[in-house]
Order: sequence, then C-alpha cells, then structure tokens
Amino acid sequence: MSLRKKLAAVAMAAVVSLTALSVSAGADEPYTGYNYDWWGDPIPSQNGFVVDKVVDGSDMGLDKLDYSDKSSTMQAQLKNLSEPADIFIDQKFGKFYIADSKNNRIIVTDENFDPKNTRVIDTLHYGSEFPESTSTIKKTTFKNPQGVYVRTNTEGYTRIYVADYDNNRVVAFNENNEIVMEYVRPSSDVFDEDKTFNPKKVIVDSAFNVYVIVPSITQGALQFSEFGLFNSYYGANRVEATAEVIAQQFWKLIYTRDQIIAMRRSVAISISNLDVDEEGFIYTVTETKSADTDVLKKLNPAGTNIFIKLGYSENTFGDFATRYYKGTSYSSAITDVDVDEQGNIYLLDFATGRVFQYTDECDLLFIFGTKGYKNSQGTQKGTFRSVSAVETYHDKVYVVDNIKNSITVFKQTEFGAIVQKAIKLFNEGLYDEAKAPWEEVLRRDANYWLAYIGLGNAYLNQNDYQTALDYFYRTSRAGYNRAFKSFRIEFIRANFNWMLIIVLVIIVALIVLSYVRKSIRKKKAAAKGGK
Amino acid sequence: MRFDLDLPAWKWPFYVMRHPFEGYEDLRWKKGYNMKVAWVIVIAFFIISVASAQFTGFLFNRTYVKVFNIVPYFSSSVILFLTWVIGNWSLCTLFDGEGTMKNIFCVSAYALLPYLFSEVIVIIASNFLLRTEGGFITFFRYLGIVWSVVLMISAMKTVHQYSIPKTLVAMFFTVVAMAIILFLAVLLLTLFQQVFVFGYSVYTELMYRFSI
Repeated sequence: MSLRKKLAAVAMAAVVSLTALSVSAGADEPYTGYNYDWWGDPIPSQNGFVVDKVVDGSDMGLDKLDYSDKSSTMQAQLKNLSEPADIFIDQKFGKFYIADSKNNRIIVTDENFDPKNTRVIDTLHYGSEFPESTSTIKKTTFKNPQGVYVRTNTEGYTRIYVADYDNNRVVAFNENNEIVMEYVRPSSDVFDEDKTFNPKKVIVDSAFNVYVIVPSITQGALQFSEFGLFNSYYGANRVEATAEVIAQQFWKLIYTRDQIIAMRRSVAISISNLDVDEEGFIYTVTETKSADTDVLKKLNPAGTNIFIKLGYSENTFGDFATRYYKGTSYSSAITDVDVDEQGNIYLLDFATGRVFQYTDECDLLFIFGTKGYKNSQGTQKGTFRSVSAVETYHDKVYVVDNIKNSITVFKQTEFGAIVQKAIKLFNEGLYDEAKAPWEEVLRRDANYWLAYIGLGNAYLNQNDYQTALDYFYRTSRAGYNRAFKSFRIEFIRANFNWMLIIVLVIIVALIVLSYVRKSIRKKKAAAKGGK
Repeated sequence: MRFDLDLPAWKWPFYVMRHPFEGYEDLRWKKGYNMKVAWVIVIAFFIISVASAQFTGFLFNRTYVKVFNIVPYFSSSVILFLTWVIGNWSLCTLFDGEGTMKNIFCVSAYALLPYLFSEVIVIIASNFLLRTEGGFITFFRYLGIVWSVVLMISAMKTVHQYSIPKTLVAMFFTVVAMAIILFLAVLLLTLFQQVFVFGYSVYTELMYRFSI
C-alpha cells in the first residue's frame, strides 16, 4: 500500500469514527449540559439528569373520572391538569400532591402516577377538630389553590396545607378532608389594610409553624402558629444598595417631611418561594431580574441568613450573565427551590426553564432542562413553556409546567450518580474513599471542577501537599490556601539548614562588600589628598 | 545640595529614589537626564505589569489570564506613561513650566522606580504567602505607590520650578489633559478606520467593475 493510500485509509477511518461518535453523542436531550468554570465562563459538561417521562392528567387517570355534574366546558378542562402551580412530595410515604389551580382541586397520587392510587380533593368539610365547627357552612371548595404542603407529625396524623389563593386563606385539613385550621388575614395593625391577602405558597416546619408567602408583602413570609395566630414576618430580603437607593438617602437629608412621604419608597423585593430541609432550615428564593442579593437564602429559626456568614450569599445563583438570543434577553429568575434528603439544593429558573442543582455548600453541580424556543413551543420532550414548581423524590426531579399542564420527570444519569456518590462520601469526611468516584468523574468529564476540589482534599488528607496544590490550582482558593500552608511548613522544615546557610552567606557577603568599598573609597580619598 | 555629585547616568534614578526631596534638585543641577535610562525604566514598567498578571501567586492573582492579550498591558503602561508626558508638557509649557519634553520624560520615568520595586517584591512574595498574610502584599503595594507619587510631585515641582500648590494643580490638570488626549486619540482612530473601510470598499468595487 502506498503512503497516500495509507493516509487516505486513516482519514476515512477518522471520518467514520467521528460520524459514529457524533451519532452516539447526539443524545435525545433537547439541552446540552453545561457548567461554569473557574473564570465564570460556561463550559460544556455531561448531563447529570435526563428526561425520563412527561406525565399529564390522562396518565393519572383524570380523564376516567366522573364529571357528569359539571358543565361541558368544565368537563373538558377537568380531564387534564389545568395550570398546575405547585407540587409537593411526601418523602416518607411517597405521596405526590399537585395543586391543580385552575381546576380548583388538589390531586394526590403516587410515585408512578398510578390511576389506581390517584385521589382528587375538591371539597372540604368543617370537621369536629375545627375550632369554629358550629358554623352553619359545612362544606367549602378551593378557589385557585396555588401552593400545597403536607406535614406528618410523630403520632402519624397528616395535615395537608393549601394556599387557597382567591379564597384569601391557607387551609389545613386531614386525610378525611376535614378542615383542622384556617390561616387568614392578620389584624390590620400588623397587616397593611391596602394590601391583599392572597397566599401563594405555604410551608410548615417541624413545630407546625406555618409560613405563608403573600406576593404583595415585602416584609417576608408570614409566620403563623399552629393554631392560626399570626406570629411575625419572617426572612425579609435586604434592600440592595443600588444607585437609586443611595440617591434617595441623599435627598432624604434635604427634603421636607411631605416630600419624603411622596417619594418612591425603596423596599426589598418579596420572596417568591421557600422550602424547608430535614434539619428545619428554611430556604427562600427571590425571583428578580434587577437584584443579585438574596436570590437564595438559608434561614435559621431566628430568620438569619446563614449563607451570609458562610460567604455563599455572594455567589451568583442561576446563570452568571444575561444572555441575548434572537432578540430576547434571558436572565435567571429563580421561581422555586427544593432541598433533597442529601441537602442538595435545586433552583428552578423561570426565564430559561432550567433547573440548577447545587450542593449544600452552594457549589454548582448540574444544569438541566430548557425552555422551548419559539418554533417548538415546548412540545419536545424535556422542554418547557412556563415552569412553576420543582420537587425531588429519591434521585428523580419533577418539574411542573403550568402551560403544558404536565409534569416532567428527570432521572439521574450514571454520571450524576457517580458525582452524588462522591459528594456523599466527601461530606461524610471520607476523602480517601471519595477519591475513586472523583477520578471516575474526571475520566468522563475533565472539565468538572468540583472533582478537582474533591481530589485535592483527598490528597491533602493523605498529606500529599504537592498533588493537592496541583488539584486546587484554579479550582479553589480556600483549598489551595490550606494545602499551601502545610506545604510551606513542611518545605521549611525540610530545608531549614540550607536556608539558614544561604542567609548567613548573604549577610557575610554584604558585610565584606561594604568593608571593601569603604577601603577603596579611603584609598581614593588618600590619592586625591596626596595630589 | 551636593555639588560634588558625580554619578554615572544609571545611578541617578536610584539616587533620586533615596532622596525624594533634594534628589531632583541635584539631578537638575547636574543635568543627569538620560533618555536611555528612562526608556529602560519605562520598558521595565511594561514588563513588570505583564509579570504581575502572569506570575503573581494563585492566591493573590485576580486577573483573567485564560485568554492573555498583551495590548491592554501595553496601553496601560507605556502608552499611559507617554500620555502623561505629553499631557504634562502641553499643559506646563503654557503655564511657565521650565521642563522640556525630554526632562519631563526622564524625571517621570525615574519617579516610577519605587513602584516597580514594590511590584517585584509583591510578585515574589505572593508566591510564598498565605491569604491571611495578605496584609504584607497590600502594605508593599501601597508603599510603592505612595513613594512613587511623592517622587512624582517632587519631580514635577523641580523640573518646572513650581511651588507645591501649583505643582498639585498642574498634576491634576495633567490627568484631565490625558483624558482629553486619549479621547481624541480614540476618536481619531475610529474615524481613520471608517475612512479606511470606505477606501477599501471603493477599491473592491472598482476591482469588481473592471474584472468583468
């Protein structure tokens, strides 16, 4: 075979293998996994989550139910979900609760959305537990329920909380649909009379305190006690020091009282959603395009953001920069938050339809999901039109779309599972055991910077400082600092004698040099004087 | 003033650095201006500003060196320095300054020396220090800047034979003049670019017409 033929054969083989590669790499996902590197630039990454299935009302058997008592237009609408606003998953019992807002009902189903286990809640009764059960009204329905939350106590009784948006109340009821408590508008001395009380989201902590988000309120979430008493506002955002705010502070020095009252008030942006983790910390997110502060907060029971002290509140959550694509600008508007059992934080970006998965230390893990752009309009599997809620159950992520009227289920990929395993070991302090999975991660995706930090910590733990430094270089300043500290001490200990000798030699040389120079100068002066 | 000073040209910058107040008077008296030495300092300024971006230790390095472009470093060192000299000369010739362009160039370059030394110390030390010891870095950085500024004031005062207040005013307006010069330069560059693009499109048009 001549050289030219050989070359041609090699080229052909390369082309064939390339096309084969591109076919296998052309995954079904409508989005490309990406991550952010040390410089804050987006870089391609392996997908941590891929679309498993898309579930709508007919999968849950909603179209098989009997709606003969409803009008014909309502019947068609009731056969599917209609603008579902929220989902809650009871991790212990595997029960899914979906707030089917426009159909004024709550749907209870299971992990597989099995029609046999699907139950619809649309009518409630004032049960014997309700303090005002003497009321003449015995039945009530939902009106645009926007949020749902479920809390089971240690004795095993379950309470379902629904933010009943247009009924101006949060209603708590048990599994027999008997109302236990209603959380209504607080008295006017703590709640501005001009403001509406339309609860949008509700969560309940382990002490059965109820936190309600009312969009018109900027002082934070409303915290109610178990028995319906308004306690306080909780977790307000800070006012960001924009140029406008600073200018206003200046004008306030000059203006009269009346002018100050007439001024546009700069108030914090209201919280858009919250979640509570296993340990009782409450996470809030703020959907805003204008401010970067307090997008994600982790609040302790006193309402203090503990991310501030840890330095995570300086992080950028969601996409790092506003992107322009075909005439529209996209900047992250985080609309929902979920914390899974491992402590991973999931943020749902309304603007781009992406889910951002973070570790409990706010390190970005994966970005998945996307909004359908103009032509497809979210018809493709895994694209969205308007996302409203995110929840996790085991290693699956559920995203609700309130225009597609469906729930998209994402499952963890093999790569995502390896990363999770490594992080789990890493968080337990088993750095050496985490080494193998991190190395596997790097074999699959050499850009995955969290793996470098994990390996750096592993080597630091083994006192291999030089390797740790190499792994921490341009991945973690804190890690590099720690490794370098130990490295420096060891280096000085090992080379102290040499360094001492060098310093002594330099000092002696300087003394000798100055002596020699002096004597030369003296000689010169003597020579001049001699003339 | 020491009238017996007889220094080689390369020693003058070090001498004025060690004598911030009288050094420039001696320099003026002895006419120690040397363009070669001054150019060496200016080029060192450029090299050190590049080195600062490239070799400052990872813990203290905040520059985006993923894509390294030398042009910004050149313009923020050499071009900035030249603009300072030109701006100062054009301002001070109008306001009874005695310095010529060459004098201003030399004394300004000599005044940069402490800053360059401090930058070298910072670059070296940043490779050995931890984040908690960053105070040393900040200290040396500010020390160099302050020393250079003091030298620059002294240099301007001496080379133009100004009083201190007049020197400070002149330096402030030199900065304003620099801004104006840079603005005009950018404007000129853009306009010339447009003229070039116009000329080039006429040329291509003609080539198309005649090639048929």
